[in-house]
Amino acid sequence: MKKLRTCLICFAVAVIVCSGTQDIEKKTFSWCGVVHAQDGWKNEFDDVCSKTQDAMIFSPDELRNLIARCDKLKPLVEKLDETQRKVFLKRLQLCRDLLLFVLESKEKK
Amino acid sequence: MTIVSPERYGRVVIKNYSNRSGIVPVVFDHWLHRSKFTCRLCHVDIGFAMEAGATKISAASNMKGFHCGSCHNGNRVFEGRKIFGSCSDNSTQEEGARCERCHSLGKNVKKEYEFDTFIKRLPKRVLGNGIDWEEAEAKGFIKPVDFLEGMSIKRTPLKMDKDVSIESRGTWMSDVLFSHKKHALWNGCEVCHPEIFPSTKKGTIKYSMFQISGGEYCGVCHDKVAFPLIDCQRCHTKPVH
Repeated sequence: MKKLRTCLICFAVAVIVCSGTQDIEKKTFSWCGVVHAQDGWKNEFDDVCSKTQDAMIFSPDELRNLIARCDKLKPLVEKLDETQRKVFLKRLQLCRDLLLFVLESKEKK
Repeated sequence: MTIVSPERYGRVVIKNYSNRSGIVPVVFDHWLHRSKFTCRLCHVDIGFAMEAGATKISAASNMKGFHCGSCHNGNRVFEGRKIFGSCSDNSTQEEGARCERCHSLGKNVKKEYEFDTFIKRLPKRVLGNGIDWEEAEAKGFIKPVDFLEGMSIKRTPLKMDKDVSIESRGTWMSDVLFSHKKHALWNGCEVCHPEIFPSTKKGTIKYSMFQISGGEYCGVCHDKVAFPLIDCQRCHTKPVH
C-alpha cells in the first residue's frame, strides 16, 4: 500500500511538472513541454534548412514540399522570444528564399 | 569609391544602440574574422545581415548567445583559447575593460591581433586589405571554419564548380569568368541567392558597373570587404573580344 501511494505521488508530481507549465514557460525554464516543443521546431528547421546545398538535385515537387515545411515552421518560430525570433526568422527566410529561387529556376527551364 | 587603408578595409562600425546607451560604437574588422571563418558561418548560420546596421545587434541578443554572443560567450574555445565574452550587465571595472575590446571607436585600444603583424605571413595583394585571401586559403595559410557547434546545421559538402561567363558590355574590356566554386566555398548558396542575385538565367539581368559600384550585385561584397572593383583583371579574365 505504501509503495502504491509513493508511486501515485511520484506520478502526480511528474504530471504537474510536465504539463502545468504552459503559463510559466514564457518566463521561466520548464522541463518537459518547452524542451520537447523546442526540439521539435529546431529539429525540423535543421532538417529542412540543411538541404539548401542540395537544392539543385531536388525535383520541383520535393522543393515545393520543403517550402511548405518552411511555411509551417514560421508560426512556430514567431512564438519564440524576441531574440530567437529575430535570428531564426532571418535564417528561415534565407532558407525558404533559396528553395523558392531554385524551384523557380527549374520551372523556367 | 573611397580609398581606405588596408587595415580599415572592410571595417564596419556598429552603432545601433551604443550611443543611446552611453557607450562608444563597436569597431568590427572583417579581416580578422574572415581569416578564421567563412562568410556563410556569420551571414547565414549566425544571421548577420549583409547590410550594415540591418541586423540590429544588441547587448541583449549577445548576452543570450546570439549574434556576436554565438562565439563571444566567454565559454567557447577556439584554436585552444577561450573566446572572450561579448556583453555583460555586470559593470565592474574589469568588465568595462572587456567592453573596450569591441566598443573602441575613437579609442586607442591595444588589440590582441595587430594588423601589420597578422598579415606578415599572408600572401600580398596591392588593393583592399593588401592580402590575397584566395591564395592564402589555397596555400593553407588560412583555413576558414564553416561550422559552429550549436548554431550551424550539418550539411553535405557543396558540389558547385560551374563557372559562368558574363559578357562585357564594353569592347575594350574582357569578359568576366565568374567562378561558382570560389564563391560557394565561402558563401554557400543563401548568401547570394536570391537576395543579391535574383536570377541565374543567362541574360536576364544586365549587370552594369554603374550599379555594381553603387553597391548592387557584386558590389554588395566587392569594394566593401572582398577585393575592390578597381582590381578589374581579377574578374574580367577572359580575352578581349
